[in-house]
Amino acid sequence: MPRRPSRRRCETDVSDFSEELRKPVTEDEQMETSMLSAKGMHFPWLQKQLETVVTGGKKKKDFAQTTRTCLSFIQDALLKHQWQQAAEYMHSYLQTLEDWDSYKKQAAPEISLQHALYLLHHGMLEEANRTLSQAETWRYGEKSSSQEILINLVQAYKGLLEYYAWSKKKMELSKIDEDDYAFTTKSRNMLSQSWKTSVNFCALIKTPGVWDLFVKSYVEMLEFYGDQDGAREVLTNYAYDEKFPSNPNAHIYLYNFLKREKAPRAKLISVLKILYDIVPSHTLMLEFHMLLRKSEKEEHRKLGLAVLFGVLDFAGCTKNITAWTYLAKYLKQILMVNHLSWVQEEWKSRKNWWPTFHFSHFWAKSDWKEDSDLACEKALVAGLLLGKGYRYFRYISKQDHEILRKKIKRMKKSVKKYSITNPVV
Amino acid sequence: MEFPSNLHPTLFMAGPLGMTDVPDLSFMCSWKDALTLPGPQNCKDRALPLAKDLLWEPSMPGPLPLLPPGPDPWDPGVTARDLLFRGGYHYRRRPQVVLDVTEQLSRFLWDHGDIAFAPLGKLMLENFKLEGGRNYSKKRTVVRVKRLLQDLGGYQPWGCPWAHVSHRLRRFSILGGPVLSRSVSLLLGKLLHEELALRWEQLLLDEAFTGGALAWLPSRTARTGQLVYPAGGALDRLYFQEVSLTSAGNPRVLKNPGHIQLRGPVRQVVTSTIQEETLLAVRSDYHCAMWKVGKPGEPAPLKVLQVEKGATGINLSPHLPGELAICSRSGAVCLWTPQDGLQLVYKDPETLAFRDPSPWRWADFTAHPRVLTVGDRTGVKMIDTQGPPGCGLLLFRCGAEASCQKGERVLLAQYLGQPDPVFPPTLHLICTQFSLYLVDERLPLVPVLKWDHGLPSAPLLARLLPPAGPSCPQPLLLGGQGGQLQLLHISGGGTSMPRLAGPPQTLPSVTDSLSTFPLLEPKHQQQLEERLQAPTIGLAAAPPWISTPILLLFQLSAAGDIFHQQLRLLPGAPLLDQTPPPSWTPQATAHCSRWLVDLLELPPSPTAWAAPTFSHRRLLGHMDLQKSEGELPQRLRVAMARGQLLRPGDLGTPPTAEPPPAPECAPQDELSERLSEAWEGRGATWWERQQGRASGSQTQAKRPKRRTQLSSTFSSLTSCLDLPDDNSPPPSPDQTSFKARLEPPGIPPSQESTQELWERGVRSERRQTLRDYMAKLPLQKDTPGPAATPPSQPSSNWVTSSQQQTPVPRGSQAPRKRQRMGF
Repeated sequence: MPRRPSRRRCETDVSDFSEELRKPVTEDEQMETSMLSAKGMHFPWLQKQLETVVTGGKKKKDFAQTTRTCLSFIQDALLKHQWQQAAEYMHSYLQTLEDWDSYKKQAAPEISLQHALYLLHHGMLEEANRTLSQAETWRYGEKSSSQEILINLVQAYKGLLEYYAWSKKKMELSKIDEDDYAFTTKSRNMLSQSWKTSVNFCALIKTPGVWDLFVKSYVEMLEFYGDQDGAREVLTNYAYDEKFPSNPNAHIYLYNFLKREKAPRAKLISVLKILYDIVPSHTLMLEFHMLLRKSEKEEHRKLGLAVLFGVLDFAGCTKNITAWTYLAKYLKQILMVNHLSWVQEEWKSRKNWWPTFHFSHFWAKSDWKEDSDLACEKALVAGLLLGKGYRYFRYISKQDHEILRKKIKRMKKSVKKYSITNPVV
Repeated sequence: MEFPSNLHPTLFMAGPLGMTDVPDLSFMCSWKDALTLPGPQNCKDRALPLAKDLLWEPSMPGPLPLLPPGPDPWDPGVTARDLLFRGGYHYRRRPQVVLDVTEQLSRFLWDHGDIAFAPLGKLMLENFKLEGGRNYSKKRTVVRVKRLLQDLGGYQPWGCPWAHVSHRLRRFSILGGPVLSRSVSLLLGKLLHEELALRWEQLLLDEAFTGGALAWLPSRTARTGQLVYPAGGALDRLYFQEVSLTSAGNPRVLKNPGHIQLRGPVRQVVTSTIQEETLLAVRSDYHCAMWKVGKPGEPAPLKVLQVEKGATGINLSPHLPGELAICSRSGAVCLWTPQDGLQLVYKDPETLAFRDPSPWRWADFTAHPRVLTVGDRTGVKMIDTQGPPGCGLLLFRCGAEASCQKGERVLLAQYLGQPDPVFPPTLHLICTQFSLYLVDERLPLVPVLKWDHGLPSAPLLARLLPPAGPSCPQPLLLGGQGGQLQLLHISGGGTSMPRLAGPPQTLPSVTDSLSTFPLLEPKHQQQLEERLQAPTIGLAAAPPWISTPILLLFQLSAAGDIFHQQLRLLPGAPLLDQTPPPSWTPQATAHCSRWLVDLLELPPSPTAWAAPTFSHRRLLGHMDLQKSEGELPQRLRVAMARGQLLRPGDLGTPPTAEPPPAPECAPQDELSERLSEAWEGRGATWWERQQGRASGSQTQAKRPKRRTQLSSTFSSLTSCLDLPDDNSPPPSPDQTSFKARLEPPGIPPSQESTQELWERGVRSERRQTLRDYMAKLPLQKDTPGPAATPPSQPSSNWVTSSQQQTPVPRGSQAPRKRQRMGF
């Protein structure tokens, strides 16, 4: 059991309260402690090593040490799930919080934000709103850029709460008849609210970051009031601004918006092309493939094949039966129209690992046992790419299955006719 | 694959680490923000509570050793106290790291003077004349050193300020000093400083064992498996130990383990089972090797690779059998495949994000079998092995993107994809000295989860385990080099983000097991503590079963010991702080005691250096002449010669348990005694009796009882030693020899004077005890007269049954007189 730091000690030694405690990590400390590593690397456990050398294992007793020990006890208790004990230590520790310096006071909005998030997650929306309003008006010293971002975030969360209220009203509204008197008042209310909310969102979503929730809510409101251009602008900025991280969701939101808008196919393809570059394993890639397949451009139809191969490269997609069905069908179709070079191009970089990755004897057995439909699709692809002599194809084609008999027969025929291993006539 | 439809709000700032003008919003992706925001439709019901009750409870307070200690001794090596300068700290506000080169150098010159000075001596040989008479040489440059050597007389006590320095020595050291000291110390000092700095860096962070050297190979039959680990003094033997698990979840070690002898120390052991084929790869300092583990447990060697600059990390592909990624200190990353052999995938001697001098490199796989991650201290990059060389995408960067602290560096990067993933196989774990990050390779540079682990040592070990059941979170084990363990519960997958399903917990570390071992004498206690504090170099776990959620963890220490501990998933919601802490079972204590006995029987490790000591064996040798001695003295002698601590148990006598001194039952208070007597009408008789007692010499009845107990202990001790009865004259030859040996040589046998001298310094209360004790010693047999018992001693009632020895009660009689008589 860890020893409880004595309270008396804390009270009597306040005069020893040194500067180093107020700023937990000062710059010169880091420089000194990392000096010998010559790497600029900081070792959190260095201090302890040094202390054993200096004091020979004896415990230091100053105030800073006591509070540090107390903090470590709190952490220890928390990690051992001893909540009661942690609370008791916390009580002893609280007095140090009273002495936070200006550096920490500037972080007050951050703490309020954390508190608000907690309330938000526990469904206490009104309380969260109150805390956020407090955080918003907090000022200490000069407003720094860091504080500005925080305030923006706080406002965006406020906006989110307003959005919840708005969307609740929208639900109620959908139940009321349009000719009703109540409808007009309510819709007028909603209009004023949405304007307030948009102001709240605007500032934050221009700051680089991941703001999925805010963007989604904002776009929904804009769309509701028919501001399609505004919504498109928000989504385009979110997806294409280079200062933002490459967030797949930004492109997905834009694609979904364009789809709702019934944008031309070329536009949709161009959006999904970027998503394909970022996340070639995404489920939308199958939709992308369908778009490309229907395209008139040969270039697009070629990309359609690459997209399918790309999806099946990934460990999480190996059992995606839709992808295998698409690939089997499309391969056959392409080979029928004599685009052998397209297939060969894709197959070149995969031929030394796809056989083991997808078409090993183990997978033949296990796929047939788990999902014989999947096994059939895979077998057709294996046959087309590796020839009828390949183990996966051979294993599946030898299986006797009442329902699939016809399918297997058709598969054998296709392989015999179109396999890329066939000698070129 | 599905991608989470809503990512956590995160600020994204590019920039160096430790940026101060950016708010630290890392809490936004830590567990506090782990919940999905309530949906707009039903705000109140959506909020999932954080599972506070999620707890894997250890069944014992600490891990237990799995196997008896190996036969090779283990030495903990240098510590910070050996390396750092100890003085001058008190004047600084904050201690500073200063390597103690001066002391180490002078120690080196002292201990290995031959190595340090011999080359110089050889160079100067022609200028010195070592022997011969006083014939005047024509060469004026030749110095005669015969007298000089004579003055030195072997050696001078090191650092002794009173050592005698002759004029010749003084002159020589003044003249020769600049030449001798500069050349030697300059060269040596530089090398030594380099070596010390290296050792100190190693002490702060020993990166060699990154990834861990312990692996669990599951067998086809449930509840059995193999532990693969290095052991032996140099960790150069790879052991394959079969372990079966009982229904209660305890490990049982099966038969003798098979082993492979290697030519270097094993630093990392990795395994992977793909398509029912189990592969095992091992990293040594300059070699990597791969085996295929067949059904009967006979590993078949597949490939051995030599890494000239030194290998820093290896990993086996979780997708394709037999593919191995290897990193070298030169900055090269290679991929070995059975089809294409060795292929250089990436090479860059520079670090990824910013300049850092560390040559440490790391590589692992990703969800795409042909894309690797390449890591160094500054970041992690994804490399397409088939793409053009040099290009790639940064997955993680030590910088403002992940709200990194100043001085933060990557210590471990691990791909978390598993054959049957709960969450998408695109997650990577990145550990730094402060935090743990989960990064999704589809969303590079933005950690999806950050947790400040706060481990007091480098987290170089991590294992993601399968979940205990469907819809259970996956346990992620994090191990520090100092043996600390943390368990995190990670859930998510599908369309939701990975998150911490409950508060992380710490698990008992090996040092927590110290309490189950019996208390030892200091030397052995230190040996045990050092052994338990040996750095942890491997971590493995037998995955939990669906039927009984029991997790079995194994830890490998640098001393070659494996410790195991069992964890149980607590069902339901336990009450706050009301689960009793686990306690040791008698079996565990017995097991540890057996292990300890084996440990203490090991030969001590050969010390690299020992302080020069005066040989006490030579002094003891003189006494070997006296052959005729009893068993007891012989044991004493042996113990002295070995420098052992002697306990009663070592003397062949079971330690007689002295009953704890009973609380002194106060002699019944006179008044109440008198009252009770008077009550019964015997007041007068009591008075008379009291009168008579007072007049007699019986007033010492209040003598504390404690003394009786002590003296009886002594008497029982002496009786056990089989010493002849005090009263039996004449003394046997045994006694005389014993007496002669106890007398310090050169001191006249006047025991009386010495006795009195040291008695003066003893407090009066203790004097009697001391006297009693002295009376028991056979020394007094020399004194003439009727032994120790003073004739005038009236209190014969104190004589114990077994002995005639009489502890003398302290009373009004002059003690000094008896003392003279007694001795």
